[in-house]
Amino acid sequence: MRRTTRIAAAGLGVTSLMALSACGGGGEGGGEANADAWILTGGGWPAIQEDFDRWNEANEDAQIDIEAIENDSYKGQIRTAVGSGEAPTLIMSWTGGALLEYAEEERIVDLSDHTGELESRVFESVWQNGQVDGSTYAVPLNDVQPVVMYYNQSVFDEVGVEIPETWEDVEAAIETFNENDVAPFSLAGGSVWPALMWLQYLTDRHGGEEAFQAVVEGEEGAWDNESILFALETMQDLGENGGFIDTYNSVTADQNEDAQLLADGQAAMLLQGSWVYSTINQDFPEFAESGDFGFTSFPTLEDGAGDPSNIVGNPANFWSVSADASEEEQQIAFDYISENLYNEETVTSMLEAGSLPPLSDIEDQIAETEDSDFLQFSSELVGEANHFQLSWDQAVAPEVAQPLTDNLSQILRGDITPEQFVEAMNSL
Amino acid sequence: MMTHTASTQSATPDAGKALTPEVPGFEHRDVKQNKVRRTGAPGEKPNLLGGLGGWLWLAVIILPIYYILITSFRTSEDLRSSNQLLPTTNPTLAPFIKVIQNDFFHYFTNSLIVTLSTVAVVLAVSVMAAYYIARSTTLGGRRLFQVILLGIAIPVQATIIPVYYLIQQLGLYDTLWALILPQIAFAIPLSVLIIVNFVRDIPMELFESMKVDGAGEWKILTALVLPMAKPALMTVGIYQALQVWNGFLFPLVLTQSSDVRVLPLSLWEYSGQFGIDVPATLAAVVLSALPLLVVYMLARRHIVAGLTAGFGK
Amino acid sequence: MALPAVLFFGIFALIPLIGVVVISFMEWNVLGSPTWVGLSNWQAVLFDRPFTWTALGLTITFVIGSYLFQAPVALLLGVFMAGQQRYRALLAVLYFLPLLFSSVAVGLTFQSLFSPNYGLSAALPFEWLPNDWLSNSDLVMWVMIFVVGWCFVPFHGLLYQAGVRQIPQSMYEAATIDGAGRVRQFFSITIPQLRYTIITSSTLMLVGSLTYFDLIFVLTGGQPADAVRILPLDMYVTGFSSYNLGYASVIAVILVAIGLTLSLALNIISGSSKMESDKAGA
Repeated sequence: MRRTTRIAAAGLGVTSLMALSACGGGGEGGGEANADAWILTGGGWPAIQEDFDRWNEANEDAQIDIEAIENDSYKGQIRTAVGSGEAPTLIMSWTGGALLEYAEEERIVDLSDHTGELESRVFESVWQNGQVDGSTYAVPLNDVQPVVMYYNQSVFDEVGVEIPETWEDVEAAIETFNENDVAPFSLAGGSVWPALMWLQYLTDRHGGEEAFQAVVEGEEGAWDNESILFALETMQDLGENGGFIDTYNSVTADQNEDAQLLADGQAAMLLQGSWVYSTINQDFPEFAESGDFGFTSFPTLEDGAGDPSNIVGNPANFWSVSADASEEEQQIAFDYISENLYNEETVTSMLEAGSLPPLSDIEDQIAETEDSDFLQFSSELVGEANHFQLSWDQAVAPEVAQPLTDNLSQILRGDITPEQFVEAMNSL
Repeated sequence: MMTHTASTQSATPDAGKALTPEVPGFEHRDVKQNKVRRTGAPGEKPNLLGGLGGWLWLAVIILPIYYILITSFRTSEDLRSSNQLLPTTNPTLAPFIKVIQNDFFHYFTNSLIVTLSTVAVVLAVSVMAAYYIARSTTLGGRRLFQVILLGIAIPVQATIIPVYYLIQQLGLYDTLWALILPQIAFAIPLSVLIIVNFVRDIPMELFESMKVDGAGEWKILTALVLPMAKPALMTVGIYQALQVWNGFLFPLVLTQSSDVRVLPLSLWEYSGQFGIDVPATLAAVVLSALPLLVVYMLARRHIVAGLTAGFGK
Repeated sequence: MALPAVLFFGIFALIPLIGVVVISFMEWNVLGSPTWVGLSNWQAVLFDRPFTWTALGLTITFVIGSYLFQAPVALLLGVFMAGQQRYRALLAVLYFLPLLFSSVAVGLTFQSLFSPNYGLSAALPFEWLPNDWLSNSDLVMWVMIFVVGWCFVPFHGLLYQAGVRQIPQSMYEAATIDGAGRVRQFFSITIPQLRYTIITSSTLMLVGSLTYFDLIFVLTGGQPADAVRILPLDMYVTGFSSYNLGYASVIAVILVAIGLTLSLALNIISGSSKMESDKAGA
């Protein structure tokens, strides 16, 4: 491809256009060695932006330029940029398959000697995710996002059921809810990824983290695993027999419909990421303040081989440092990571916003926050987790993420059987 | 205003013979006359069925727009807690304020620059090319036309990766040029097609007589083709302006910094990884649609008149 | 004269198109460097990937369905708007509105309207109204055809309105004297007179819907795949979600080929080829 474009460039009289581009606004900075980083829009990202602003104010000779990009477009852009050697100095990822590829292609540098005190402060279950073959290639940069079970206490009270702790409890509760015409679980199946949370938890509770580890390591036929099959069957059963709300295939998460169903009592429970806690506080303050809004961990499975302390979700977003950046730029990035990440001010502002830094040394601070009950709950969840499973669509190779979504979508609709799912995924 | 009405009024179903035009027809191009004759709709009885259909379609059109409008005056809390199809009881300007504070006018200016310059260049180069093709008697002219026709069928998203590399090689990545240049290129085929078909219908005699008067190519282009093709240019201009104004794929891939962000991309600032600020997004949508609506309302008469001569051949 | 257009088109459209053809013979995941694989992408996409044919079938349904929806509505709307009554002029302004909104806006709005628990189906007291507009495999394609039509009918309506205004009133007067009714006049005068508008508008509709995908993407995310993932969307997902640019380029080339055939065919029907040869002889 490169060749064609060069010919084009030559044929055009590049210089004249280059001259034009100078007045086009923006453009790459003129020569000075500013490092750069791309962050996302929305969510807790404005706090990260502020953190960079403070850094830039304090470090005149180590400036970092920031761009905020929307999530979906970020994923495409960062890959194109990394692939063409134009990546920003600090490369943000969700770790998993993408990080593995970056490391294998040697697009990012080994950070093992540049992380300062950070490793000792971050929860082990989170830190692991930034490691490739024992070396640290990425460090967490924001809040940890475990997936938890939210519930609406008033709905439970109405039908007289206790919050389920085991899968047996869940099955009994489903029956009672159905008799009373309440949907047990809200699920944004139309967006598919929330259903992945179910698949992950059920697989983990049934067979432990090893079941999926084989898939990540690319073992032949690894999807053909009894725990994955169990999870798929259970999900189809929940879909067909009134476990999920009957419209689950049409409910989407973009506009928080799944949370709304919980908030207005149409559903009793919702399995979703920790970010939904602040969504509910913002968009459904009445429900949030009613005292009915509760949260708990995913139920245990009686005969399951998985460790009940295991959790799934997004350990955090992580920074890596581009191998294509100049040494100067890399040094700025190293300094930022080792000196500035999770500094006191940023941690405070994250906690105030209701998000949880994955740090083991901030218990006291958490206790003083407004959302201390939820933050303490998640902090314990993460701190005690034996394993923190990164969301599967991030964990697998990027090429596999889309087929995984496609096939899971078909499972949700009942268009294919679990066996067909396994077969399709194995054939990739 | 020069319209094409007279010659087209004489058009018959086999107007393919327009190449032997009735030149006299050009003597009475009178819009008013055209209008007077049109005061009665075809048939004298009111068309009940037509009226019914018209109102029905209005309902179809209006419902989503009604939703956009009422939602832009809500808070997201209000959107969630009440019936979202009914207007809120506590209207708020907060979404609009949020959008305006979020550099709306900056993005607006970017969009305006990109749209206006793209459309201006498209019209200029397309009318020139169309003139050349329509008047060309060589094989080259026809080949060129065929190649340009090929362009109509290129799905933009298919070529985006090579375009991205090209733009980067040219050092234009993340500039407004990165948006203007490719969008011009992809707008050319359709524009040329429409204008060519129009220029072809300009009576040969008019060209001949200008030549006899010693007019050069440029003179013919500016004094004859441009005014005569005005309706076609209008059609093309509106269509391409809307495409560019609302397009998001090129901006998405070819720009990155907020300095050069255009409106459709700025909408995405109101969505995060797990959710969307619906009222703010729709407020931004309303704000970016308003200027277009104003332009349309002001220019509607001209647009329809312009299009009138443009397509009826 | 044609040089600037040729330069622009050649550099920013034709060269990238050649690039796409080149990539269709390569394996490339964006991150690594592309490697030559000869015809194997073509082999794989055409013969070892049944979904290609599913997508092609969906594309045909979408293109024809869109045409059958948009063309008559736009035509009737154009005829309607061409009438001189005041209220029609007002309606014409309102009809124009959908053109003003980007696909992101339209997508968000219809997503809300089609929401099963909070949208139209929940708000209206009609039991028979389905609530799985966007997830029912049998329904979603028609919903897409409608929504995309919603966006594009206004422009074509505008074209037809202009076309109708151009038809000499005297033709209708003569027909009325001959006792032809409104329907008869529509078919024997309006339609034949609109021939050129119909052809131009049809070309835009057909080729346009052949390459269209953004609204479908925004609304459905491409699910259910076997009900909405038309070729342009399939290409986008394959290239930009699965990072298989080789396959995506093959699909792109197929699309270009279909589109080219279509626009050439329409061009022949429109008779401009005939005019071209006339001109060559002149």
